Amino acid sequence: MIEVSDLTKTYPGVLAVDRITFKVDKGEIVGFLGPNGAGKSTTMRILTCFIAPTSGSASVAGFDVVRQSMEVRRRVGYLPENNPLYSEMRVEEYLHFRARIKGVPRPDRARRVDDVLGRVSLADRRRSIIQHLSKGLRQRVGLADAIVHNPEIVILDEPTIGLDPTQVREIRELIRQLGKEHTVLFSSHILSEVEKVCGRVLIINRGRLVEQGTPEEIANRLMKTGRVRLEIRGDGRAIKESLDRTPGVAHILWSAKGDLNTYIVESAGGKDVRSELFRCCASHAWDVLELSHERLSLEEVFTAITESGGGGASA
Amino acid sequence: MSKFVALIRRELGVYFVSPLAYITLMALLFIAGLTFYYSVKNAVGMRVPGSFEGPLYAIDLVVIFTSALVTMRLVAEEKAKGTIEILLTAPVTEAQVVLSKFIAALTLLAFLLIPTSGFAVILARYGSVDFGQVWCGYLGVLLLGAALYSIGLFVSSLCTSQITAGIITFSVVILLLIGNIGAAFMPEASVWRQLLDLVNLGSNLGDFMRGVVDSGRLLYLVSLTVFFLFLTTRLLETRRWR
Repeated sequence: MIEVSDLTKTYPGVLAVDRITFKVDKGEIVGFLGPNGAGKSTTMRILTCFIAPTSGSASVAGFDVVRQSMEVRRRVGYLPENNPLYSEMRVEEYLHFRARIKGVPRPDRARRVDDVLGRVSLADRRRSIIQHLSKGLRQRVGLADAIVHNPEIVILDEPTIGLDPTQVREIRELIRQLGKEHTVLFSSHILSEVEKVCGRVLIINRGRLVEQGTPEEIANRLMKTGRVRLEIRGDGRAIKESLDRTPGVAHILWSAKGDLNTYIVESAGGKDVRSELFRCCASHAWDVLELSHERLSLEEVFTAITESGGGGASA
Repeated sequence: MSKFVALIRRELGVYFVSPLAYITLMALLFIAGLTFYYSVKNAVGMRVPGSFEGPLYAIDLVVIFTSALVTMRLVAEEKAKGTIEILLTAPVTEAQVVLSKFIAALTLLAFLLIPTSGFAVILARYGSVDFGQVWCGYLGVLLLGAALYSIGLFVSSLCTSQITAGIITFSVVILLLIGNIGAAFMPEASVWRQLLDLVNLGSNLGDFMRGVVDSGRLLYLVSLTVFFLFLTTRLLETRRWR
């Protein structure tokens, strides 16, 4: 449905998107995850034909976004970031207008508008002027617009930004519903959100695609990164020095409360160093109160990936 | 075609939900009415036939001075509010967008002009009116409006702030209006003088007001319009690549 290969977009002095390659299959809900300014919006704007790529290619529904942009635009529903709307119009009037310029034939128009109003639960606000609606309701108008012409692909740029938790939940549920009939690509900079809705996640940072897969796959791949928590009673400094010499240990964080020392040991290259640590402790006959493998949460993985500037987790 | 009509209707809708259309209409009727009153009073006092030339001039001036107001928001507002993104990712061409905005502005002008024809009707009731001249005058107003609106539309598509667009358009219009002041000091045969006279709004309108359709003037105004509409379309088309 969406095929992107080696896509690059540069602005004067800025490399916004750097050789991104990915694929989205029919019927998938794919989350596009990355910190602000990572290149999510730029990629989405290229896919929706709002801007052209500098190099590389992208096709949506089998049509090239540069050479066959009209065909692409007919098949894509798009909710841009910040959800711009013609706010002086009434909800129903706006959707009619949008349906018309998107080429929904006249006999179907009223039915389509009624249908989408029902799907986003705005039927009772159809006569409201968009300006007077709350942010959450406006977001639903934007979503209704994105699907009013029954597109094959729906692209949503930060659909839940600035909403309160209840509204976020509602929009998330809507996206899940959309996924039943459309292929959905949506972006977010909040990981938990993407995790809850998407079948697959693309993580992008500084214009580069750094990870992709299901949330579990990504977590499993990255959580091997070893981090061991040790609690040892005794002379903190001496213990730390010995631990530092243990093979495979990269970095140790030490905190002490009286003679109770807590160490967070990070291993080089994500290796499991629990056995080495145990042998070290055993040879010194320290009072080990705890030795446990600390798993990184997906949130931490994401932070690690995006802060290290791409290229896998080094936490 | 249906898309095109929808676009025009939306643009027109914006004019009529904002006070702009009504304020312009008020200004137009007030100034044209005042001019009408004094031109009739003057004609009666001097015992000459009443003429519609005065009100036509007044209408022209109002159109000239409001052209920036009418056009400044057309594209700049869409850019500022971000709605350009939903507009240009919909399956409509840039040419359709530009033309629909232009035609909406021109339709607004036609709407505004209709009530002013009342003065001509009143004049015809109590005296004789050369309707050929009146039509010709209105044609001149519309052609002038078209040229100014296409310039305004172009400027608006260059700007993100409608205020900036308005100020620039207004400056250009003023330049076109008084630009020939310098011409008076140039020798009669100077090319520059002829050029200044050619682009000057006043000299382009005089003939139309007097009931003369000069094909040169007509061609100038029409080609000016087409040229700026073309530039605007190109500007929007190349926006994707910038």
